[in-house]
Amino acid sequence: MIAEKTNTAQQIIDAVSASAGKVNFINDAALSDAMLFLENKGIPTNKHEDYKYCNVDAILKKEFKNLSQNFKEVTSIKEFKLENAVTIVVVNGNYSETLSDKIILKGLHINSFNNLDDNGKSILTSQADVNKDAFIALNTAFSGLGFHLKVENNTQLQIPIHIIYISSSNDQAITNPRNIIEIGNNSEATIIEHQITVQGKVFTNFLSEKLIKENAKLTSYTIQDQGENGFSVNTNQVKLSRAASYENTTIMLSGQLIRNNHNVVISGENAEAHLNGLFVIGNTQLVDNHTLMDHQVPNCQSNELYKGIINDKSIGVFNGKIFVRKDAQKTNAYQSSKNILLSDDATINTKPELEIYANDVKCSHGTSTGKIDESAMFYLNARGISNENAKIMLLNAFAEEVIDKITNEELKELIQKKLGFN
Amino acid sequence: MITIKNLHASVDGKEILRGINLEVKAGEIHAIMGPNGSGKSTLSNVLAGKQDYEVTEGEVTFNGKNLLDMEPDVRAKEGLFLAFQYPVEIPGVSNINFLKTALNEKRTYEGKSSMEAKDFLALVKEKQKLVELDGKLANRSVNEGFSGGEKKRNEIFQMAMLDPKLCILDETDSGLDIDALRVVANGVNTLKTKDKAYIVITHYQRLLDHIVPDFVHILYNGRIVKSGTKELALELEAKGYDEIKKEFENTPV
Amino acid sequence: MGNEILEQHIQSDYKWGFITDIDTETFAPGLNENVIHALSKKKNEPEWMLEYRLKAYKAWLTMKEPDHWAHVHYPKIDFNNISYYSAPKKKTELASLDEVDPELLKTFEKLGISLEEQKRLTGVSSNIAVDAVFDSVSVKTTFRETLLEKGVIFCSFSEAVQEHPELIKKYMGMVVPPTDNYYAALNAAVFSDGSFCYIPKGVRCPMELSTYFRINASGTGQFERTLIVADEGSYVSYLEGCTAPQRDENQLHAAVVEIIAHKDAEVKYSTVQNWYPGDKDGKGGIYNFVTKRGICSGDNSKISWTQVETGSAITWKYPSVILKGNNSIGEFYSVAVTNNKQEADTGTKMIHIGKNTRSTIISKGISAGFSNNSYRGLVQIRKGATNARNFSQCDSLLMGDKCGAHTFPYIEIKDKTAIVEHEATTSKIGEDQLFYCKQRGLDTEKAVGLIVNGYCKEVLNKLPMEFAVEAQKLLAVSLEGSVG
Repeated sequence: MIAEKTNTAQQIIDAVSASAGKVNFINDAALSDAMLFLENKGIPTNKHEDYKYCNVDAILKKEFKNLSQNFKEVTSIKEFKLENAVTIVVVNGNYSETLSDKIILKGLHINSFNNLDDNGKSILTSQADVNKDAFIALNTAFSGLGFHLKVENNTQLQIPIHIIYISSSNDQAITNPRNIIEIGNNSEATIIEHQITVQGKVFTNFLSEKLIKENAKLTSYTIQDQGENGFSVNTNQVKLSRAASYENTTIMLSGQLIRNNHNVVISGENAEAHLNGLFVIGNTQLVDNHTLMDHQVPNCQSNELYKGIINDKSIGVFNGKIFVRKDAQKTNAYQSSKNILLSDDATINTKPELEIYANDVKCSHGTSTGKIDESAMFYLNARGISNENAKIMLLNAFAEEVIDKITNEELKELIQKKLGFN
Repeated sequence: MITIKNLHASVDGKEILRGINLEVKAGEIHAIMGPNGSGKSTLSNVLAGKQDYEVTEGEVTFNGKNLLDMEPDVRAKEGLFLAFQYPVEIPGVSNINFLKTALNEKRTYEGKSSMEAKDFLALVKEKQKLVELDGKLANRSVNEGFSGGEKKRNEIFQMAMLDPKLCILDETDSGLDIDALRVVANGVNTLKTKDKAYIVITHYQRLLDHIVPDFVHILYNGRIVKSGTKELALELEAKGYDEIKKEFENTPV
Repeated sequence: MGNEILEQHIQSDYKWGFITDIDTETFAPGLNENVIHALSKKKNEPEWMLEYRLKAYKAWLTMKEPDHWAHVHYPKIDFNNISYYSAPKKKTELASLDEVDPELLKTFEKLGISLEEQKRLTGVSSNIAVDAVFDSVSVKTTFRETLLEKGVIFCSFSEAVQEHPELIKKYMGMVVPPTDNYYAALNAAVFSDGSFCYIPKGVRCPMELSTYFRINASGTGQFERTLIVADEGSYVSYLEGCTAPQRDENQLHAAVVEIIAHKDAEVKYSTVQNWYPGDKDGKGGIYNFVTKRGICSGDNSKISWTQVETGSAITWKYPSVILKGNNSIGEFYSVAVTNNKQEADTGTKMIHIGKNTRSTIISKGISAGFSNNSYRGLVQIRKGATNARNFSQCDSLLMGDKCGAHTFPYIEIKDKTAIVEHEATTSKIGEDQLFYCKQRGLDTEKAVGLIVNGYCKEVLNKLPMEFAVEAQKLLAVSLEGSVG
């Protein structure tokens, strides 16, 4: 890949280094590799194939001229709490023990990166390769104080875990929240990751390494709601062992820039992965979803469903890749991306890729972009429904396919309320 | 015509046929009946030479030649025809082109010249009538978008076109309504000659009301446990398979 | 091509691999301004043509060889190790066919291309006018007089530069500018010959036009240009065929094809690409780096690309349509087969600019052996392209477990009234289908051929009759031995 290097990375390094100490929980090799990568490759511009439709370098240059790293403390997260969930709070990139619930669930452990056990240390940086991507490198070099969430073997967590990433800054800041999520053999958990910015202009560079062990199941939700001053790049590096199951539903509610890199490595047979996404964007928002389903072994399946409603001058991107390695026979992989453009200035770019090296597979993708179905509009009009209401009904119906993937009722209601379709 | 001796076959290492013995002479119709999972379809697939089936023991002689040594297409060219239980769809390949290729392959094998287009089309017309197959189907892709009944009639139509010596009908009656069943049976009966033999594999007796067998064999647990004449089929219909199961389930293999 | 010849093709791997022993005049390898001067002089070109070449050459020097985005792998090309001109020696201007070197006639006869106008192709009712290009020059263009009666100009590019400079000046580089990309720039600098075709207003070209490209000389590259201009309300169907000798070296073919369709005009361009693909170990073969693009410049115009790609060691090719006129239509129908160690990165670009523009993309990729076969395509709906429609279907078929099949579609939409649909599937030949065919008496090769042809039918149906027959046979030959 040819990427023209700019000095954005250096500016970030200077600003962040000045305000933070050494990250002592990441091993030295990874730290130096990360710095080296940033110095050599920089922040990607749109010359980089993976960032063709998302010039993060230019955005950072334009929007974060004065990175002061002048954060504001957050003292209460009451208004964001879910009634029926265990809450974990990360403030400005750092795990906050005081704001988080005391953990009393059997089989669930949370350790801050300062108290990692050997197992935790061995996982940290093992999934997210610093030499693969600038934002992995950036997070690794300047990682916030993250946590290792571990569900022991043979544990069925009945209550969902709600992780709130909250940021607040007096002016411009960058945070690097990071975590490890490990679901033990034969265990099951539901995790809701919720990103919020309450004040200031914040660039969140999120990184999560998720391990789903044999026969384990993780149902995960990502709610991105950082407001018009929120900018984020989010990397999920997920690894599935034998018969593991992973389902993520990402709802992109607000944020000026949302770039999601969701990489799923399927390394055990009979595992399955499902990624769903919904974005409803307007103004000058840019939302870019990159997914990778890396099928390394036979007899696995993956499914993707991404839907976008794009209004005003906003830009939506979906770039999904199904990668089937040589030995991954009997892979069943499907990917679908559907979009509706609502305005004359809106843009959608999609790039659904298949890269396949095994012959006994069933892989397919479909993508479609269109406008609101005019005959359906007319039908509703003819039944006395106003244009405005008819439009809302039809958009709701379009979004419903993704929202229906949310099985947690409390969350589902919250999302429906936020989207304003009901 | 065909002699099966002590035929054993397995799929994925699991033995399904455990010593079949059967002799079918020209002009005869043999019915093979049996409950689900007794090995009926395995027998037809083994005779046609499907890859996934491994013959572990026994021999099959077809017109004096070793059938098991032949590739599937050679078996077909030698005159063995299998009417599939689930005929496969081949998108983009027209029925007519498919049949023409198959027919000419067979003729080449027999040392005959390819059929003239005119004669071929006349033959198609004639045989289509036999199974009351809509002429339009000939130009559609092989089995694609055909109804269940159309697929089965298409199998018999192909059989009529290729003029085989031994016809194996694998559950041709499954999924057929009574009219289609009559049409299919009618086709088979019309095609019957003293040089041809039939093996009719079925779960139910009702097909045998239309295609009357000379012999009936009951297949159970991979072996023929009982043989008789057409009355055996009626007896089976009256008693049901449970009776057979009870009688033979403890028979040592 | 005649059927008998096709029958022979079935017998062996690559039947077109023979070498014609003929006296040639060949430039020493190397590329610099002097070579371009010499080339231009050789062709007795006017000053403006030389300037065009030199400008392109200077641009090329500043450009970088594309090396990162296409899914193909090959060693760096040494452009100074290629000869940029090779032509059969001829004494005087040819007055009639009798004066063409009999060796050349024989070569084209052997390839199934008749340069004698009274000879008709087997089983073909209409005539086809052929421009036969041998290495760097056009040897003969048939039926020129017949066509001229209708006002259709069909000649070699070199002749067009001499005889129709106003048309060449107007249209050359209009769709593919000399600076478009690395290989287009190289072509603009060193192109040796090619075909030119102009269909005047309201004329339906009375016969299929065809160019047959033959690389013969060793150590050379072939850089031809094709320019097709369809004036208002005209129609033409154009065919392109190509072969090369079997050599251990890799040879570069960097062509440019430009199509301009004016108001209400329609151009149908069909290719059966059968360059030497290299041997089973990947030794030798043609590098086919081609820029093909058409513009529907007027309202209601239509450009349709149909290609059957079985040859070349490396293919890098994206026949595209710029849909500028309102209600214009772009089509791309492609079958790409790769076997052994071949690599293909091919697809199309549909650029929607005008209102109510429509495009259809049907791509069928078949990979066998150790090959890699990629579809890469762009559908772009620009702002203001109201009611644009696109439908794309990209299917891949894998034969064997050592090959790869990839799909890289780019879809960029900036108009809310657009409706764009893209579907892609990857699968293998069904064991059940193979068994069914075998049970009806077809051997494996025949069964595979039949199933693959069925799979590609949507595309093959778009080819003119005689080409379709050739393509079907070619598909079967290309995949021989790919299923065990």
